[in-house]
Amino acid sequence: MSSSDIRIGVFVCNCGLNIAGTVDCESVAKYASKLPDVVHAVDLLFACSDDGQDNIKRAIREKELNRVIVASCTPRTHEPVFRACVEEAGLNRYLYDQVNLREHCSWVHMDEKDLATMKAEELVAMAVERVRYLEPLERQSVDVIKSAAVIGGGVAGISAALDLANAGFETHLIESRPTIGGQMALLDKVFPQNDCAICILGPIMSKVGQHPNINLLTYSELDSVDGYVGNFRLTVRKKSRYIDTEKCNGCGDCEKACPVNVTNQYEFGMATRKAAYRPFPQAVPNKYTIDKRGISPCRIACPAHVNVQAFVALLKEEQFEEALQIYRKNSPFAGTLGRVCTNPCQTECERGKYDEPVSIKALHRFLADFERTHNKKPILPIEPDKKKAKKPIAIVGAGPAGLACAYDLVRDGYSVTVFESRKEAGGLLRWGIPEYRLPRDVLRDEIDIIQQLGVTIQTGVRVESLEELKSQGYKAIFVATGAPSSRLMKIDGENAKDVHHALEFLDRVNSGKKVNVGNRVVVVGGGNAAIDAARTAQRLGAKRVTIVYRRSREEMPAIPSEVDEAGHEGIKFEFLATPVKIATSGNVISEIKCIRMRLGSPDESGRRKPIPIPGSEFKIGGDTAIIAVGQEVTPDSLVSGLEPTMYGTLEVDPVTLQTNVKGVFGGGDVVSGGATAIEAIATGKEAAKSIDRYLRGVDLTEGRDEILIPIEDIEVDNALKMRYAPAMPTLSLPKRKTTFGEVELGLREAVALEEAGRCLNCAVCCECEKCVDACTLDAIDHSLQDEIIELNVGTIIVATGFKVHDPVETREFGYKTFDNVITNAQLERLTNAAGPTQGKIKRPSDHTTPKRVAFVQCVGSRDRRVDQDYCCYIGCENSLKQAIQIKEKYPQTEVTIYAMDIRTHGLGYEGLYRRAREKGVIVVKGRPSEIEEIPSTKSLVVLAEDLYTGERLETTTDLVVLATALLPNDDIPELARKLKVSTGEYGYLMEAHPKLRPVDSFQDGVFLAGAVLGPMDIPKAVAYGKGAAAGAQALMAPGKFFVEPIYAEIDTSLCMDCDLCVDVCPYGAPTGRGTERRVMFELCQGCGTCAASCPKNAINMRHYRTEQILPQIMAAARAKGGIV
Amino acid sequence: MPRKRFEPTILAFTCNWCSYGGADLAGISRIQHPPNAKVIRLMCSGRIDPIMVIEAFKDGADGVMVTGCHPGDCHYATGNYRTQVRFDALKIALKSMGLHPDRLKLLWASASEGQQWADGITTMTETIRLLGPNPLKEGGVQK
Repeated sequence: MSSSDIRIGVFVCNCGLNIAGTVDCESVAKYASKLPDVVHAVDLLFACSDDGQDNIKRAIREKELNRVIVASCTPRTHEPVFRACVEEAGLNRYLYDQVNLREHCSWVHMDEKDLATMKAEELVAMAVERVRYLEPLERQSVDVIKSAAVIGGGVAGISAALDLANAGFETHLIESRPTIGGQMALLDKVFPQNDCAICILGPIMSKVGQHPNINLLTYSELDSVDGYVGNFRLTVRKKSRYIDTEKCNGCGDCEKACPVNVTNQYEFGMATRKAAYRPFPQAVPNKYTIDKRGISPCRIACPAHVNVQAFVALLKEEQFEEALQIYRKNSPFAGTLGRVCTNPCQTECERGKYDEPVSIKALHRFLADFERTHNKKPILPIEPDKKKAKKPIAIVGAGPAGLACAYDLVRDGYSVTVFESRKEAGGLLRWGIPEYRLPRDVLRDEIDIIQQLGVTIQTGVRVESLEELKSQGYKAIFVATGAPSSRLMKIDGENAKDVHHALEFLDRVNSGKKVNVGNRVVVVGGGNAAIDAARTAQRLGAKRVTIVYRRSREEMPAIPSEVDEAGHEGIKFEFLATPVKIATSGNVISEIKCIRMRLGSPDESGRRKPIPIPGSEFKIGGDTAIIAVGQEVTPDSLVSGLEPTMYGTLEVDPVTLQTNVKGVFGGGDVVSGGATAIEAIATGKEAAKSIDRYLRGVDLTEGRDEILIPIEDIEVDNALKMRYAPAMPTLSLPKRKTTFGEVELGLREAVALEEAGRCLNCAVCCECEKCVDACTLDAIDHSLQDEIIELNVGTIIVATGFKVHDPVETREFGYKTFDNVITNAQLERLTNAAGPTQGKIKRPSDHTTPKRVAFVQCVGSRDRRVDQDYCCYIGCENSLKQAIQIKEKYPQTEVTIYAMDIRTHGLGYEGLYRRAREKGVIVVKGRPSEIEEIPSTKSLVVLAEDLYTGERLETTTDLVVLATALLPNDDIPELARKLKVSTGEYGYLMEAHPKLRPVDSFQDGVFLAGAVLGPMDIPKAVAYGKGAAAGAQALMAPGKFFVEPIYAEIDTSLCMDCDLCVDVCPYGAPTGRGTERRVMFELCQGCGTCAASCPKNAINMRHYRTEQILPQIMAAARAKGGIV
Repeated sequence: MPRKRFEPTILAFTCNWCSYGGADLAGISRIQHPPNAKVIRLMCSGRIDPIMVIEAFKDGADGVMVTGCHPGDCHYATGNYRTQVRFDALKIALKSMGLHPDRLKLLWASASEGQQWADGITTMTETIRLLGPNPLKEGGVQK
């Protein structure tokens, strides 16, 4: 089309005074009329009115216009209107362009009228340059799938889903909680009639559950959204309830059996619930859910993965036997490790982040001790598995690793023999740890369990070679011979007579041999062996014991409580020092020469490296030295035929623990060179797994990893009260000087119960599987997995609701600090017959009925300090409703409402206010400045100013109720991103137009309903739900939807197949190669990123072609501007 | 008579979803700001071809703003990440054209950020006013 054929019409809208009040529209039209190819330019009072549109249509026909520009308001709302208008006049709707004179000019440059007019002219000139290059386009239509997804099962979502389903559309209702009903289901009464909320909602909820057109997906979350209007593809994660909903009949037996109590969010923290729970009796569907969040940090931290949370939860419920059984699923050493474990579980305990970790070690010790003192039940031998028993297993070494391996294998049905060279089983637990820490009978009894289960332990038998075992018919061997020798310091004088090495020293004492120590003992080292040696020396009669350690106390690897106790017993410490020479006179120690150290930068162990300070030598007087600087594997620990590593330890595969000989495995200290008992046990258990796989002929590695999924974010009540761990009772100091009696005495029952109560139940479900035993329908399966469901729908309605402001973050008005300050949501549960108090209003501190109640309005609402300066819409009515309820139940109770204003909008709500006043509710205009607690009565003093009288009020009240703000849900930004919809100023989802398109989003096919748009009351939420359903139906009913023909095109003659467009396109629209390359318009969303990326300019965007944009740029850049 | 002052010509490229909406909101909220910026609406800031920005300067624009959705909020998922990359490259290109890099500005504004939009335009206008007219225009490069 040549330039002379272009006939442009420009229509400048006055928009009443909205534009004309600032911009001289007449002059803009006049200016436009002089622009090239403009054949018609006028200004109109209201271009979008019928008159205005008629004027445009007439001009198109009369002036034979083939391009139209309307300079009016934002195209985001009015472009479709004018496009339809020009189409009606016979012009292609894409030969139209709109200039935004209102939002972008007149409304924002009100004080600069001349410049605004000039800008308006320039904007029109830009459009004239662009419109000339526009080309007619045909709209594409897409098929619409006649099915909808509603996200959110609150009252808005329920209303939308029912309307859609009743109209015959297949509807998927996706709800993240285990039940539908949303916030309304938790209310007691609904204003203004004060109807019972669940009584009116319950029947509708069950209708949803039974509707043939509704696919109800509860406990499900939206993972991702793909596709476009008419054909969205949703991926929904149906979270596992760990209960087969087909079998569950909602009887609640699992709930009764469950030992885990957590804060009940459905009671707003006013009560607790179990990990196996149903939110409320009217839940739809009426099924139970097991709330499982992952594996607790303690269980992950434990090398043997003892299910800590489960035994702590059962202990708290006083089910001591069951708790011990949970521990013993892992190893028999509840009492032994309860004394000597280094408890890595406690280091990771979540509670430790708040006050102190739970004393896990002391708790399993308590369980073991309780069994020892109370009717111990005999352990029954395991019935061997016929097939497995044919393949006997030999274990060399009866230390913790060997015993743990035997324990697991015998319970698996194998026949196991343990060979021990010493005269008693136990390894370093028996020979290395002094009796005052681990009484022999405790260890012996726990080793007995293994024997009672059917393991044969042959003591006093040294295994020399593998062949010897193989010839006896053993099919698999586990070598766990330990690292029984002390490492040498390699300093002068180490060979003197009274120099001992810790392990040998302890071994001799523990064997009952006579060991003489002098009066002044110097122990070198900072590990548990050093502390054990020092305390043992003291008990053997040493007068003065000094521990010399080269780092500082913080870096000591010994258990801190052991170091503390050593200090209490009078043992001296010489930190940051190391011996350089043991001086002797005639093979008798005279003194120990040391040097001071300082700490340098951290070494590979993460601890700071000690560096000697030159010239800082000093002497410690002593007659006995005990060296405790580590342990070593001796060559005779390795059974012949096995390969050592360069460190002398046994070489094994890090995963399978198999040695260089097939079917022979290794673990414990002989592999690690010296580690803790629990680590040794972990390797024993791992070896048991390998041996089982080996003997069954299964691959040793495949599918072996036990995946322990940590909890993503641990929910902790933000008002957690500080409670510290109990001190361990100990033996008196004088007794410790002379005897080897046990030092730590264990927790008393009451203390243990209280301590177990400090567990935060991080993982919620602890997997104790009590529910599995309790369920008579066999409905519970802890191995169930989340299900991923794909949905294909034409429209989506988002109705995910709101959240209630939690004033604890600002500690406003003493919430969660003062017991008797609650929120209106909490009061709602107190007035509810199904709530924690059966509908009786009792204040939390003493469960008495309050005689005086004060409501504080607008907590977090209309509050600029927290960027929440909007009205919560329901707070006034809700407090009036609750005030009336209190007055109805307890007419004598005095009720005061402190409010900035009382806002009772619309029909019926003013009556609520009147009723409250008639019942004697006092309304004070003015927000309280402060609330103070009277410590003796826990009553509260409300300080406020009455704004009408200016009087300062100071009123004592029994209960304060905070009317808290409504806030957008935390997941809104993520949801908005998935659905490609916008969020507004306060974080709620944003409608396409605040007045005219309140349920539409900017994304075609996505509708919004309920409080996801902002605070609203129930009738409004229902109306929005029904409105969104109507919008969705209108879109789906014709079966076709017109989409913008704006998509990319490729000129294959220019394309050089660089594939850059494929890389940048998020939708995978570019396809093919060479001459076949094209953009699939069904997938293309029209962003144009590919066009801007193409190095050959081979890609162009329809309606946003470079040749359409560049003239517009030129017109703008060359504008008059300059010095004015 | 009031002293005459330099009124710069600024081009603001917007995407259809976020920054154009932000500019609309500034209007609806009547947040006043200088009238120097003229908006060119594209579907996505990813559509902004570097040639468009260079062309704008060659034709005499005193300043150019590239605006779009906040990173991660792009209506088209990843378009604005490309914008960021191109913007960084353009900054370098500007220097070789003999233009002050401050003449090009990137502004992320969502549809709810009317105030941020108005503030962005105000500071950009002040910046360009201090930098003076586009030297390419004065040097007679303009066609």
